[in-house]
Amino acid sequence: MVVGDVTTGTDVLVIGGGPGGYVAAIRAAQLGRDVTVVEMDDYGGSCLNHGCIPSKALISVSGLAHRAGEAERMGVYAEPAVDMSAMVGWKDQIVNRLTKGVESLCERAGATLMTGRAEFAGDGEVRVVKAGDGQGSETVSFEHAIVATGSRPVEIPGFGFDGEHVLSSRDALALESVPDRLLIVGAGYIGMELATVFQKVGSDVTVIEQLDGVLPGYEADVTDVVHDRVESLGVDFHFQQTAREWEATDDGLLVWTDSEAEGRAEKRFEADRCLVAVGRQPVTDTLNLAAVDVETDERGFIETDDQARTSVDSVFAVGDVAGEPMLAHKAFAEGEVAAEVIAGEPAALDHQAIPAAVFTDPEIGTVGMTADEAAEAGFDPAVGEMPLRASGRALTLDEREGFVRIVADGETGFVLGGQIVGPEASELVAELALAVEMGATLEDVASTVHVHPTLSEAVHEAAKGARGASIHY
Amino acid sequence: MFEYELPDVGEGVAEGEIVVWHAEPGDHVTEDEVLAEVETDKAVVDLPAPVDGVVAELRADPGDMVPVGDVVVLIDTEADDKDTVDTEADDGSPSAGDTTDTTGAKTAPDTGDTTDAIEGATGQVAENGAAGQVAENGAVEGEVSTASGRVFAPPHVRRVARELGVDIDRVDGSGPGGRLTEADVRATAESGGEETDTVTDSGGDGAAAGVEPGQTAATQENGQHRSAVTPTGTADGTTTDAGAADRDRTLAAPATRGVARELDVDIDEVPTERHRDDEAFVEPEDVRAYAEAQQAAQTADADTASAPAETGSTQTESAVEPVTATAGTETAATTGTETTEADTRTEPYRGIRRTIGDQMAESAFTAPHASHHDTARAGGLVDARERLKQQAEAAGVHLTYMPFVMKAVAAVLPEYPAMNAELDEEAGEIRYHDRYHIGVAVATDAGLMVPVVEDVDRKGLLEVAAEVNDLVERARGRDLAPEELQGSTFTITNFGAIGGEYATPILNHPETGILGLGELTQRPVVESGEVVAAHTLPLSVSIDHRVVDGAVSAGFCNDLKTYLDDPIHLLL
Ligand SMILES: Cc1cc2nc3c(=O)[nH]c(=O)nc-3n(C[C@H](O)[C@H](O)[C@H](O)COP(=O)(O)OP(=O)(O)OC[C@H]3O[C@@H](n4cnc5c(N)ncnc54)[C@H](O)[C@@H]3O)c2cc1C
Repeated sequence: MVVGDVTTGTDVLVIGGGPGGYVAAIRAAQLGRDVTVVEMDDYGGSCLNHGCIPSKALISVSGLAHRAGEAERMGVYAEPAVDMSAMVGWKDQIVNRLTKGVESLCERAGATLMTGRAEFAGDGEVRVVKAGDGQGSETVSFEHAIVATGSRPVEIPGFGFDGEHVLSSRDALALESVPDRLLIVGAGYIGMELATVFQKVGSDVTVIEQLDGVLPGYEADVTDVVHDRVESLGVDFHFQQTAREWEATDDGLLVWTDSEAEGRAEKRFEADRCLVAVGRQPVTDTLNLAAVDVETDERGFIETDDQARTSVDSVFAVGDVAGEPMLAHKAFAEGEVAAEVIAGEPAALDHQAIPAAVFTDPEIGTVGMTADEAAEAGFDPAVGEMPLRASGRALTLDEREGFVRIVADGETGFVLGGQIVGPEASELVAELALAVEMGATLEDVASTVHVHPTLSEAVHEAAKGARGASIHY
Repeated sequence: MFEYELPDVGEGVAEGEIVVWHAEPGDHVTEDEVLAEVETDKAVVDLPAPVDGVVAELRADPGDMVPVGDVVVLIDTEADDKDTVDTEADDGSPSAGDTTDTTGAKTAPDTGDTTDAIEGATGQVAENGAAGQVAENGAVEGEVSTASGRVFAPPHVRRVARELGVDIDRVDGSGPGGRLTEADVRATAESGGEETDTVTDSGGDGAAAGVEPGQTAATQENGQHRSAVTPTGTADGTTTDAGAADRDRTLAAPATRGVARELDVDIDEVPTERHRDDEAFVEPEDVRAYAEAQQAAQTADADTASAPAETGSTQTESAVEPVTATAGTETAATTGTETTEADTRTEPYRGIRRTIGDQMAESAFTAPHASHHDTARAGGLVDARERLKQQAEAAGVHLTYMPFVMKAVAAVLPEYPAMNAELDEEAGEIRYHDRYHIGVAVATDAGLMVPVVEDVDRKGLLEVAAEVNDLVERARGRDLAPEELQGSTFTITNFGAIGGEYATPILNHPETGILGLGELTQRPVVESGEVVAAHTLPLSVSIDHRVVDGAVSAGFCNDLKTYLDDPIHLLL
């Protein structure tokens, strides 16, 4: 019985309509809470509008164009022409459909959608500032707030995004034409995915990276496969180079880099456009966090516990703003937990592992521990590996690079993790994730019959391999 | 050693329930640090440490009702840090700083984080070490949570553990390689969190647990019991325990099938109470238990050449319908419970839930209730609030409709003294109250609470509003003093905030009147022969019909309507 409150107000106020926010809203509404979602831009957040979905759309279509033109040894002769604006138009249709879907899912679940920027106005209250002059603002009081304001690309000093010369990933995914020469700063997953896309549709792509390899954080034998492939597509890599400054030219820009390894020798890169993809940072400056006592860490992420609760009891935070890994599926999981905790359910973020994928060519999919990590954690790891060149299905897809590796506890056989590089690695990793989460053993995976001929047989075979009983390799 | 007795944490409460401990044996506590939360009649209070020292022993578990004056915790006031370290060493746990020790790696918490690892070697281990439980079951635990303290349990099992408040690190896993199953967690929960012999205690694993080596007591007990019930079924004694099933299909993990093959057991015969997707689901320990039971049965059967076919059919039945087939035996009782548990969640009826329940029952079965329903026009009320809202806001008070209704009730009640009264049956007296203390029913996460605003008739609207807001908020935070929940003479409940029009409120015993509010919203009303939309507020009044007549409650409602339609009457 709610007493003394017949006013406007809401049980659960969700700030941000991205993966973290919309999932929290739907779940909380399903659990009978009165939910209001406030979004200042488009529903679906970075993921649907400028991230996962647009990038994956362009990855597929650029892959299609590229493969069609490279299939002569399979007896297919084609010279595909690409129309970037049509490609982007197709992508926009998908995005539209999905963002509409998110809105209607929220509404069907019973959540109220509001447009505007929400900022904390004190204890239990936010002010929702509407866009546009004279639109004014509105105050909403809440019992619980879920902050899901996401992240935005990091800018490097001197390289402010202007949408013209210096592009963010968001700009790059909306280009209307293919740049002849594209310089990409950063060889993380976003830089590598977009390097692949643009090289495949005809750009001359150059990637500069401060570190000495691509995709930091992944094991060398995994990234080597991707590095080699992307390089063989024609992408030019320059490592240990730091972008310093740039200057506009008649037909594009000039970028200078320096490198400590090479004694600060300056290098000069010419390009039509420069995409900067050097990481993402949490968005908290839209929120007036100072009005509540929500604490952030030194990198600006909101600190949360395993129930997505912040330092203020009534405020939760989920998704990119709540810390690494900044991945949409982590945001989904956190959004659900926050909603369930608010509804009094015994939910918690106690996942054994959060899988990750890189949608390069070929893909990378990983979950849980590497062999080194397992050893470090005190296990005696049993490792099984199946190279895809031994997989019938991989060969019929004209793929021979990559492998599936499974890491388990040598003593009990519990699956601890796995690394996959190869076609559809992002899909294949799901089986390993399930195994890790369920506490399945190598024997469980090895004794499960897999469909032939599929790539998933490689997972099966790797599990057998870890038990010293491979059949096909 | 300081023996800390549960103090009187409320006003004159006789007992309290330990909700949660914030300290564990081995913990250093300083005076006034919160040791535990204790729930009394209607509030949860913190139990502060009375002295500095090291917690030596907790004498009550969460959920225990402890009478005031009983010792709840022993605190070693002499102990210094050195003692703590000694305790660790005694238990064979790694000593502080010894992070490279392999045992250390095994008991360290489940993150690779260095800081945590170091903590694990100091604070954390000290905690466990002194509890004495780790020492006892160290071996078992090592098996379950292998390197880095990782526990292998599927997500739904982890969730059940959270739901039951079971520390998953302390559960003994019975699955392949020590993986935890839901039954393991439930068993631990039922045995009060102690992992020793959990499997046997709970009966969660039914016959399976009974036949494990070293746990023969349970088997024997079952055996005796059963033969007493069915004296003719000689062969039954042990065979039924094994209870061969006869299924066409059985779900089991590949590793479990491996165990079955090894032990030469037909997996379709292994009895189990577990189900997945409506199919029988077998775990390795079921297979092992069945294999052993079968062996035992063979020995027993050697004496009595009774027809196995006949027993076979009974067994099938008992596997399928444990409750009917073996009702009356101990196994049946336990397995019966377990089956229900799978679909039904049980939680103890106690604490605030119980207090509410007792009061509702007392009220409903003491006072014959009668209800009166009516609808007030509330246009004036809506206007008035709209006009005063800004000013109230400026004064820092969030103005809702509730204070208006409270003021109106306080204004009407003097005309209807029987509704601001109580019946003292023992004394044979009706007591009429001259003061108007209004209780406001609040739904909280823990259940219904009714904080009280005193002397509503003598307070201004803003004052009432501020008080209600504060009480409601603190009720939700379970932050009310017991006295703030006592002494009301009349109660209002606003179920309409959730929705709906009419209800039958149960009196807040021993009061004689209660007012329920429906949702204030626009509804069609007839005005000079036309249907128009107007704000209305549905009213539901319940009375103690022993003291109050129906006409009185109708009159009360009529007067109340006048005030709500035009709150200006409050000025008179
Ligand atoms: C190019 C690219 C590719 C990616 N690919 C993948 C991938 O393949 N897989 C993957 O898992 N992840 C991927 N990501 C990451 C993924 O997009 C994010 O992890 C995910 O969007 C995070 O969700 P979120 O809800 O935390 O935040 P967001 O999606 O960023 O949503 C936050 C929302 O909050 C709104 N907002 C902010 N402040 C306020 C305020 N004060 N009031 C109201 N609204 C506000 C914003 O407008 C935004 O819509 C990719 C990202 C990029 C940029």
